Amino acid sequence: MLAYAIRRVLAIIPLIFAIATITFFLMHSVEGGPFDEDKPIPPATRANLERRYGLDDSLPVQYVTYIKNLASLDFGISIANNRDISDIIKERMRVSVQLGIAAFLFATTFGLTLGIVSSLNQNGFGDYFGVFVATAGAAMPSIVLAPLLTIVFAVELGWFKVLSTNYGFTDWFGGDFSNWKQVILPTIGLGFLPMAFIARITRASMLEVLRQDYIRTARAKGLEEFGVVIRHAAKNALIPVLTVLGPIFAGLITGSLVIERLFAIPGLGGEFVRSVIIRDYGLIMGVTVFFAVIIAFMNLVVDLLYGIADPRIRY
Amino acid sequence: MAASEQSLVQPFDFASDVLHTKQRGLWTQAWQRLLHNRLAVISGAILLIIITVSLLADFVPAVQLHDPATTDFSVIEQNPSWNHPLGTDRLGRDLYARMTQATLFSLKIGIGTQAVILLIGISVGMSAALAGRLSDTVLMWITDLAFAFPDLLAIILLRQVLFGRDWAIIGSGDPQIPGVPSVLLVTVLAISFVGWTTVSRLVRGQMLSIKEQDYILAARATGASPWRIVRAHMLPNTLSAVIVAATFGIPLAIFAEATLGFIGLGVPPPNASLGSLINSGLDSIQTHNIQLIWPTVMVALLMLCFTFLGDGLRDALDPRTRR
Repeated sequence: MLAYAIRRVLAIIPLIFAIATITFFLMHSVEGGPFDEDKPIPPATRANLERRYGLDDSLPVQYVTYIKNLASLDFGISIANNRDISDIIKERMRVSVQLGIAAFLFATTFGLTLGIVSSLNQNGFGDYFGVFVATAGAAMPSIVLAPLLTIVFAVELGWFKVLSTNYGFTDWFGGDFSNWKQVILPTIGLGFLPMAFIARITRASMLEVLRQDYIRTARAKGLEEFGVVIRHAAKNALIPVLTVLGPIFAGLITGSLVIERLFAIPGLGGEFVRSVIIRDYGLIMGVTVFFAVIIAFMNLVVDLLYGIADPRIRY
Repeated sequence: MAASEQSLVQPFDFASDVLHTKQRGLWTQAWQRLLHNRLAVISGAILLIIITVSLLADFVPAVQLHDPATTDFSVIEQNPSWNHPLGTDRLGRDLYARMTQATLFSLKIGIGTQAVILLIGISVGMSAALAGRLSDTVLMWITDLAFAFPDLLAIILLRQVLFGRDWAIIGSGDPQIPGVPSVLLVTVLAISFVGWTTVSRLVRGQMLSIKEQDYILAARATGASPWRIVRAHMLPNTLSAVIVAATFGIPLAIFAEATLGFIGLGVPPPNASLGSLINSGLDSIQTHNIQLIWPTVMVALLMLCFTFLGDGLRDALDPRTRR
């Protein structure tokens, strides 16, 4: 198990290296650079700027420098505002992670409940409700759901502040929950699609497990229904669900682009779009590599958890 | 010799005669099963209507009533009326015309993307499964690599790379500018280059398992050429799974395009895509939110219909559900 874990962690390194390389050359394969303005800047200023950001070297030299710095976890400085890219990522990530965690908790709590409840009364009312939500959710990505929720609950009913430049996303990690209400719409908007997905797999997996002999045995020996469902059925049925939770979590943290823009939440996704448009080379690289690490890491965590949860799996 | 050949052929002829009277091919059977799936049929019908209307609007001006780009400041932010079935936006443009244009664009993106993905995915998956160990290792490594890229980031970056020179300005790449590729082509390619991994893995997995089946052994034993085995046996048996994956891929591509349009990386301003309509609808959310409702509902409707159609196709094409 430990050997397997170490092997997997080591396998991430060439992957990240390849991603960094591809991104680097893709990014530089376009003509023009970050200092192209409508009004051309004086050549001397331009030369100075390029020297400052290491853009005066030839591409291979820049590449080698970049990879060397990356190996020591140094992402360089942003061309746009001269700040350390690791600082920018840290600051923006703090916001994206909070939103991601909120949406993830929403998705798993409601997804699991809905899936288990609908599997327990298959073809009953609860089941139809669960299947309906799960199906409708498949067509409700953030870009569809968030505007509709805002129209209904913020504009028409007036329960929430309507989108504004300062939506008031407070820093929970700093212990500030004063603005908790404003988090509800972004959380549901972001978490509904994964919730529907989780509900669907949970239901399918539960239906499969509930048909097994050991469930009949558990019932036959007189266990109360709750114990059967939770301890015997759910525990086994959740193993396949576990495998999708990792990618879902990574997707929620890295894929909140739309929600961030809609609710003016200062997360990392919006920062990436800006960096691509103004061609902030270091930031493009930084965010891509960082997101790739998160995705690879979450996949790894899931694989390891899978081994722990299912004792039949041996590495 | 002739006599023995005759006797060999005889039973086969007899069998094919019997089969011919009530033979239903794989596709006919699948089609009939699909027709029994009410949800899939309804979804297919809705999609057919949407496709027809938006296609017609592109060619026949009468269906469109108004030009999608013409502004009319005497009818700003109007509610639906006979003259403007879906109302007008804040520049007095007819929303129905803009919606048909945007929907057509989204459909082109969805279907075009899947066409490119099928092309890449099938060739990569087939080469990995059939062209030997080395190519399998290399191609699967590339697939894993493409899969590990953060989707949206890669699409945004690729889109800008494909545009070439003018990518610093948001929404540049107007089809009228010579030398700059069209938005449609660039978006389709960018989404496909990121999204082909699922299909290639599927094709490889299917082909590897089919390769070991007895009927392939039988075909080889009767002397069929490798190309014939691939074309007549392996491809058709892979195709059903691939068609299902492609149908499920269409809503994903539509969603990706809507996201691009929403963050300002869609079609250039006079034209509309569903994402850019959602984006501009947000500005009027307090005053005239019907502008925001149409495009969001259309995205949801398209995604739902393609998902149901995919579900139906999966059940119809799976021989195990045969009744």
